[in-house]
Amino acid sequence: MPRNQLLRLAIPLVRTHGFSREALARSVLSLPVPHQQPLSDAAVLSLFGQGDDARRVLIEGWLDQAREEMKIAQVPAVQGPLSVRDILASRLKSNEPVLQHLPEAFALLASPASGLPPLDPLPGLKHVSKIADEACYIAGDVSVGPAWFRRRATVAAAYGAAELHQLTSPNTAYEFLAHALNAAQKVDSTISEVELFGRYVWRSWAGIIKSSGVLP
Amino acid sequence: MHRSLSQLRPLVPKTASRLSPLVSAAVRHNHQNAQPTTSSGSGSNLSGDHGARTTHFGFKTVPEEEKESLVRGVFDSVASSYDLMNDAMSLGVHRLWKDDFVARLKPGARGPLRCIDVAGGTGDIALRILDSAREKYADRETSVDVVDINGEMLKEGYKRFKKTMYHNTPQIAFKEANAQAMPESEFPSNTYDVYTIAFGIRNCTSIPDVLKEAYRVLKPGGTFACLEFSRVDNPLLGTLYDQYSFSILPLLGTILAGDRESYQYLVESIRKFPPQPEFAKMIADAGFTTGAMHEGKGGAWTDLWGGIASIHTGVKI
Repeated sequence: MPRNQLLRLAIPLVRTHGFSREALARSVLSLPVPHQQPLSDAAVLSLFGQGDDARRVLIEGWLDQAREEMKIAQVPAVQGPLSVRDILASRLKSNEPVLQHLPEAFALLASPASGLPPLDPLPGLKHVSKIADEACYIAGDVSVGPAWFRRRATVAAAYGAAELHQLTSPNTAYEFLAHALNAAQKVDSTISEVELFGRYVWRSWAGIIKSSGVLP
Repeated sequence: MHRSLSQLRPLVPKTASRLSPLVSAAVRHNHQNAQPTTSSGSGSNLSGDHGARTTHFGFKTVPEEEKESLVRGVFDSVASSYDLMNDAMSLGVHRLWKDDFVARLKPGARGPLRCIDVAGGTGDIALRILDSAREKYADRETSVDVVDINGEMLKEGYKRFKKTMYHNTPQIAFKEANAQAMPESEFPSNTYDVYTIAFGIRNCTSIPDVLKEAYRVLKPGGTFACLEFSRVDNPLLGTLYDQYSFSILPLLGTILAGDRESYQYLVESIRKFPPQPEFAKMIADAGFTTGAMHEGKGGAWTDLWGGIASIHTGVKI
C-alpha cells in the first residue's frame, strides 16, 4: 500500500489529533481492513520521517488536499463560473475544522530544520502563492506577461492577510477577505496604470533623445 | 586457532574439486579492474551447459546451492574474532551505526515488542534493543529472538549474553535457522513487531526470499529494518573507501585472524550488493510500504557516512 494512501487516511484525523505523529499512527485504524493498534513510532519514522519531519509531511499533505478541494468548491447561491473571491472564501472555510491547530502548523513550517535562519518565510510564501495560482486558474484568469505575476502576487497577499486574520478572528475573516481583495485589485490597477504611464514617458524621452542627434 | 577458508574441505560438498580453484589461498584481486555490475534481485543467473543457476560469492560465480555452505564456512572461520575484526575494520564506527539503527526503532516506547534479529549471531543488535528498552523506557518485557544460520556465530552470541542480566530470561532466545526459509512451526506468521537484519542480508543467496519471510513473520504494522553496507556516491570518498577496503581490510584479516580469503569475501560481497534505490524497490516489491523513493527525511533509506552503510526500512500494512 503506498504511503500516500495512509497520509490521506490520516488527514481526517487532524481535527481530533492535530498535526501530530499520533494522527499518522492512527491512520491504519481507518483502513478497509483496520489494524488492531496504531502504528509504532518506528513505523511512523520509517514511512514519514523522524520527529517534526513527519508532522511537516502531514501538514503539507493537508494543505495539498485543501488545494485539491478548491477545484470542486461550490457556492450554492452562485451559478456559473466562480469568482476568485468565492474560491478563496471556500478555501478559508476548509480551515475552520482545524483552526485551532493551524497556528502551530504554520509555525512548524516556518521553523527551519537546521538552526539558521531563525525563521524561514519560504514555506509560507509558497503556500499562499500556490493557492493564489490555483484560484486564478479556476476562475479563468487570462492575464499574460507581467500582469500574470502581478495578479497572482496581489491575490496571494490578500489571501495571506485574510488567513492570518482568520486565525485570530474567524467570524470576520470573510469580510476581511473581501476588503483585502478590493484593495489588491486597486493596487493591481494602480500598478498597471503606473506601468502604462511610465512606458509613455519612457518612449517620449527615447524619441526626444533620438531626434536631438546625441546618439550616433 | 582460526581456521582459514582453505582448511574447510570437510565442510565443502562433493564438488570440492570444482570449488578448490575458487577458494585457493592468496586470492589475487585487482580491485581497480573490478567492474561493479548491476546485480539482479537475488544475484542469480542461469549459466553453464546444463542451465545450472549460479550466484555471486564475492566477485566469484558459484552454483547457487553452494553459496550457503561457502558463506557458512566464512562465518565459521571468523566467528571467534568477529567482534574484534569489526572494531578493527571499521575503527569502531560500526558501533555508532548500530546505535543509530536501534535508536530509530525506539524499542519499548509504546509497550513491549517482540523482535526478531536475523543474521544476528553475536547479539550486537539484540543487546542494544534490550538495553535501549530497559534504560529509556524501563521496559523489561521486550524480547528478541536471535536467528542465524551459523551455529558458531550463535555460540558467540550466547556466550556474550551469559555475561548480561538477560541470560536465562524470556527476553532472549537463540535459534538456528535459514533466513530464506524459517520453519513456520518455530516462526509463525504475523508474530513479530520488529524484524532487524544488520550486515547479514548481503550474505544470503536470495534476497527476495529473505524479504518474503520477513514479511510473513511480521505482524500488520510491524517494521522491517535493515542495516547494510551500501554504495558510496561521492567519487572521492568512494576511491578512498575502495582503497581501504581492498588493501587494508584483507591485510587486517591476515594479521588479526590469519584468514585473508574470508575477509576478502566480506569486502567483495559488499560491492555485489544492490545499490540503495534497487534494494528499496526490492523491499517494496516484497509487499512492504516504504517511505518515498529517495534518501533521507521520509525516504525509503538513510545513508550513513556518505553511503558506506545504509538503513532501509519498511512497514507491513
